[in-house]
Amino acid sequence: MTTPLPSIPASPDGTPPSRELAFEGVGVDLAGVTVLRDVTVTLPQRRIAVIGSNGSGKSTFARLLGGLVAPSRGRVAVHGHDLVAERKQVLRMVGSVFSNPDAQIIMPTVAEDVAFSLRRRGLTREEVARRVTATLERYGLAERADAPAHSLSGGQKQLLALSAVLITEPALIVADEPTALLDGRNSRLISALLLDEIPQQLVLVTHDLELAARCDVAVRFEDGRLFEVDDPAPVIARYRRDLG
Amino acid sequence: MIALYRPGTSPLHRLPAGPKLIALMLLAIAITVFASNAWYIAGASALVVAGYFAAGFGPLEILRQLWTLRWIVAVTLITQVIFLPLPVAATNTGRVVTVVMLATLVTLTTRTSALLDAVERGLGPLRRIGVDPARVGLVMAMTITVVPVIAGYAASIRDAQRARGAKPRLRILVMPLLVMSLKHADELGDALVARGAE
Repeated sequence: MTTPLPSIPASPDGTPPSRELAFEGVGVDLAGVTVLRDVTVTLPQRRIAVIGSNGSGKSTFARLLGGLVAPSRGRVAVHGHDLVAERKQVLRMVGSVFSNPDAQIIMPTVAEDVAFSLRRRGLTREEVARRVTATLERYGLAERADAPAHSLSGGQKQLLALSAVLITEPALIVADEPTALLDGRNSRLISALLLDEIPQQLVLVTHDLELAARCDVAVRFEDGRLFEVDDPAPVIARYRRDLG
Repeated sequence: MIALYRPGTSPLHRLPAGPKLIALMLLAIAITVFASNAWYIAGASALVVAGYFAAGFGPLEILRQLWTLRWIVAVTLITQVIFLPLPVAATNTGRVVTVVMLATLVTLTTRTSALLDAVERGLGPLRRIGVDPARVGLVMAMTITVVPVIAGYAASIRDAQRARGAKPRLRILVMPLLVMSLKHADELGDALVARGAE
């Protein structure tokens, strides 16, 4: 089912958009199956909620922006940079956070895992150490710097995953169900960080409609298609109604 | 079983990773080649114990590390006893334990990132024959990282089987563990791409 796309709401504070995600006729085929089709939308808002049923295409949308799948058709531009032609540059601009923090830990200890993000960036060892220390202090992980990363609690692991992304100062954060495996307290901590504290543009894929309601715009996918884009309140209301 | 760095200020902690790795390699070769009887093993073990004390680790830490090797000891000893006299099997097992304890001492006193840098530098000349030192280092780091994850999966599968009244058995552990490990590998691959380590 395809509905005409409504006009995209402006940022709530009225400031002119300086960063935007642009999709033009984008489709994605995986193993011969079309999982995303005909996506055309421009998203200048800072906080973009992506909602929809399981298998609706919302995670594929996030994986596109994270460089984990390539568009089979159409064009994706992140802040003016083409996702295919300028892939390396776009990957450096985008930080991805997934639902399972265990699967994001690459190095054995907390500090080493955060430092891993700065490899191949031409920084001196001292500069890497300085940035890692500052990042761990900022996100409350300094005391666990030398602890085995997998010994952290679920919330701390997700904080570690976010720290490892934020230390690279990306322009866009793509978070796919970042609070799905967390308890209420840690979920609030991570969502407050993502929605209220960081300055980056955020694409938040979520089943948590309360989180989606706090974003500047909601994008709903159904059956591999972009279903609607609008202010979060009406999109969520219609989604709730359709869920029955 | 894979020990992680414990911060400290001992001379062993301060020693650069490269010389420590070279010393580990030379001592491991010496123990393997020359420690042919129980007296040599005892001497080498005393040296390793002295190393633990010099690094600030007490008897409890030594016993803890030895306990983590119990399965290696059992498998090494039992498989050799079938074919060799007990004193020879015990000497060979002692040799393995001494070398592993020595390697553990190096990892306890050296940050993984420093070890990886040293390995990458050491493998640098092999670039000419197509070896990518950075990739070798990354694989080593991920191997260390993933051990507790796989152990956690095994524990959760055993718990699930107990909860359903099944006795924990290796045969019914392997398949779900393999599936979970492959899924983890898939997700880890995504994380590597997302973090720019293609």
